[in-house]
Amino acid sequence: MLIQGQASSPRTAETVLQAHWRHLDRRQSGIKGLLLGATILSCGSVLAILGFLSYFALPIFSEGHLAEILSWEWRPFQGKFGILPMAVGSLSLAVTAMGVAYPLGLGICGFAHGLGPRCLKGPLMGLINFMTSIPTVIYGFVSVIFLVPLVRGAFPESTGYSWLTAALTLSLMILPTIVLLVHAQLQQVDARVRLASAALGFSPAQTLLWVMRPLAFRGLWAAAVLGFSRALGDTIIALMVAGNAPQVPNSLLDSIRTLTSHIALVVATDSTSQAYQSIFASGLILFGVSIAVNLTLRRLQSRAALPATGRHD
Amino acid sequence: MRNSRNGLMAIIFMLVLSLGTAPGAWAQDSQLQRFQNLEGTIDIAGGTAHIPVMKDAAEQIMKANPKIRLTVAGGGSGVGVQKVGEGLVNIGNTGRALTPAEVAKYGLKTFPFAVDGVAVAVNPKNPVGALTSQQVRDIFAGKIKNWQEVGGTSAPIHLFTRDEASGTRETFWKKLLKKGPIDAKANIVASNGAMKMALAQDPQAIGYLGIGFVDQKVKGIKLDGAEPTQENAKNGSYPVTRLLYMNTKGEPQPLVKAFIDYIKGPEGAKIIQKHGFIPTSK
Amino acid sequence: MIKKITYLAQACSWLAVLTTVGMILLFLGFLGVRGFDTINPTLFFGNTPPWGAIIGRLPVWHGIWPACVGTVALVLLSSLLAIPLGLASGIYLAHYASGAWKRWFSLAVEVLAGIPSIVMGLFGFALILSLRKTVAPQANTCLLLSAGCLALLVLPYLILMTQTALEALPDELRQAGLSLGFTPWQNMVHVLLPVAGRGILSGVILAVGRAAEDTAVILLTGVVANSGLPSGILDKYEALPFHIFFLAAEARSDAELAQGFGAALILLILTAALFLGAYYLKSTFTKTWDQKNLSI
Repeated sequence: MLIQGQASSPRTAETVLQAHWRHLDRRQSGIKGLLLGATILSCGSVLAILGFLSYFALPIFSEGHLAEILSWEWRPFQGKFGILPMAVGSLSLAVTAMGVAYPLGLGICGFAHGLGPRCLKGPLMGLINFMTSIPTVIYGFVSVIFLVPLVRGAFPESTGYSWLTAALTLSLMILPTIVLLVHAQLQQVDARVRLASAALGFSPAQTLLWVMRPLAFRGLWAAAVLGFSRALGDTIIALMVAGNAPQVPNSLLDSIRTLTSHIALVVATDSTSQAYQSIFASGLILFGVSIAVNLTLRRLQSRAALPATGRHD
Repeated sequence: MRNSRNGLMAIIFMLVLSLGTAPGAWAQDSQLQRFQNLEGTIDIAGGTAHIPVMKDAAEQIMKANPKIRLTVAGGGSGVGVQKVGEGLVNIGNTGRALTPAEVAKYGLKTFPFAVDGVAVAVNPKNPVGALTSQQVRDIFAGKIKNWQEVGGTSAPIHLFTRDEASGTRETFWKKLLKKGPIDAKANIVASNGAMKMALAQDPQAIGYLGIGFVDQKVKGIKLDGAEPTQENAKNGSYPVTRLLYMNTKGEPQPLVKAFIDYIKGPEGAKIIQKHGFIPTSK
Repeated sequence: MIKKITYLAQACSWLAVLTTVGMILLFLGFLGVRGFDTINPTLFFGNTPPWGAIIGRLPVWHGIWPACVGTVALVLLSSLLAIPLGLASGIYLAHYASGAWKRWFSLAVEVLAGIPSIVMGLFGFALILSLRKTVAPQANTCLLLSAGCLALLVLPYLILMTQTALEALPDELRQAGLSLGFTPWQNMVHVLLPVAGRGILSGVILAVGRAAEDTAVILLTGVVANSGLPSGILDKYEALPFHIFFLAAEARSDAELAQGFGAALILLILTAALFLGAYYLKSTFTKTWDQKNLSI
């Protein structure tokens, strides 16, 4: 088209330029298409994962095993394939790990934003950042060798491989997630209110407690939700130190099994049995939780972001 | 000065050694000769009692012929059956006989190579050294909860058991517990090796594992008066025994066949004995 | 009253900080003390002559060398898969996508970021099973499969870091390039990407660190306890995190346990080095743009 046009009409500067632009345009859309393709591929993988998990979990519904899978006993030799104890295990572990990590995280953020001396803020945040790079398996390894015998020594009725041990170890792993999120939110707020509240005569500690804390409220929620989902998604620590007994725990010293370690433990049994279907059910539950967490975070963020964007517009 | 020269010599020696070692140079052993003209990979998975034997044999074979690669993974007997049946590995190990259903479903061929007993074991610090079968049943059912009840010091009993894919668990459950219940509170470990480590660390623990894994780190329990040794397992005076098997899907390929022959041959027998099992060939 | 609460809050924050710092130092100190002595050639090569092992001529037994090589291979392969895809998607989301589509894509990326790694491994395992039943009966769990699943695991980090680095650039920069007659893509390649480079690179390094440390994905997709050096991307392999995981439960002797400490320390040094690199790049990126922002 272009070449014909050039051949039949006189080459004015304008047509040359137009041709050049059209050529560039075509390249632009080619590049755009390529980038779009990559994006679709990346985002499509989510659907692929969901699809595969659902496909493999399908027999649960078509063969009517749902009630068996969603029951309270895991005894494969007796034909009992309930995963609810593992769901409770996941939930209990995540909640307790949060119970330890969240207050610690808030304390650390408070320390960095006015409650502690300013000169320690840098090293402290450096350490927290560094904690994100410690491999999970190392937490598990050290915990097996160090924390498990300690717990066993302190509580003779426990083997040391317990809910408590796993919760303590896991809380260290999720701590940086919580701290960094709250810290980021506080920094945003800090920039807006610092001068004003200093002018009103507040000390940094008072600013944090009475001015910034209420404003950073969404960030506090986001950190809680994300920390919780990190704790729920962990496999290795639970698998290594929680003891893996498929039971609903009665005490912190009991051995528990999470949905994630259940997958790891059962993944290679006979591929037609219900034991096998139960791991895909577990996978789907975890996937579902992950989506729910993200939707929650979105709501929190979009509301939190409103005042900020409003200011710019 | 002298030291540094020695160090230098050592490095040169190592270099010469490492460069000079042509593939196959170590294959003087008549048993390893069968691998001489073979190459390829054998993937092995399944029974965890087998792992020390498999690793040792793999080391000998790969040193003799670097063109052969052996990978060894665990998982348990159930994993062995499933993986070899699905064709994910070449050899699936089991610590129990295949069920007729498994043989029929996947067309498996089975090769027993060693006798192994399943011992009830505790930490060496535990004063309890003998139990009756009934006591073991009660302990694993959760009815007996304190060591005092079976003649030990007053301390809660820590139960350790294996996952459902384990052949050791199946042997123990069928032959000793008579398919009785195992307390759901019991901690679950994923292999014989892990069981041994758990028992070795915890003075209040009780569990069960292949006799081949019993050494000074864990104490085998005398069961109804019978000492858990491989000799007693072989002559029948210790009742909780099983064979260790390698399984293939259909007839094994030449390389896999050579491996199985090696394990079942005299060199293999030495390796099997070294790790505390009794070869079936004897 | 307010003063009292303030003091109480201060005391609590000190307590939280001291507890955390104490626990971390205890953990790392324990690892460092027990692991330091084990770091020597024997840890890596066992009883094999090192040179022969390094050139891959002699198989290594009783050493962590095959696991180290396996981890490096795994990380390289997954980077190869994830980085182009991640950068392209990040660029698209930052500068081309808009409206409802952008929201949907971003949601997908966030969901992907939240999927637990064991589920990613389960996906890989299911993928292989269905491949075997349909088009490729010979397909098997292997290095490539693990790398693919790890790539999915780190992909959202790459996308988000790329997108964030590009969106953090001042709008004036973009407009300046366009007003000089650059096409959007020329502007991207010659102006925006070079200045956002440090930010993107730090994302890449963090992703690499994440791929190097993950255990749950590879547990289900082809890692084994013993294989020697990885021989190809379709073979099974050893990896450091799995080796540590394995030894924590199955160390048969004190020597093997010591090897576990050594391996853990090596892995920690590796991930810490990657992290420090990324941290440095990121801080220089932020500093540069804070200053430029002021001058514009």
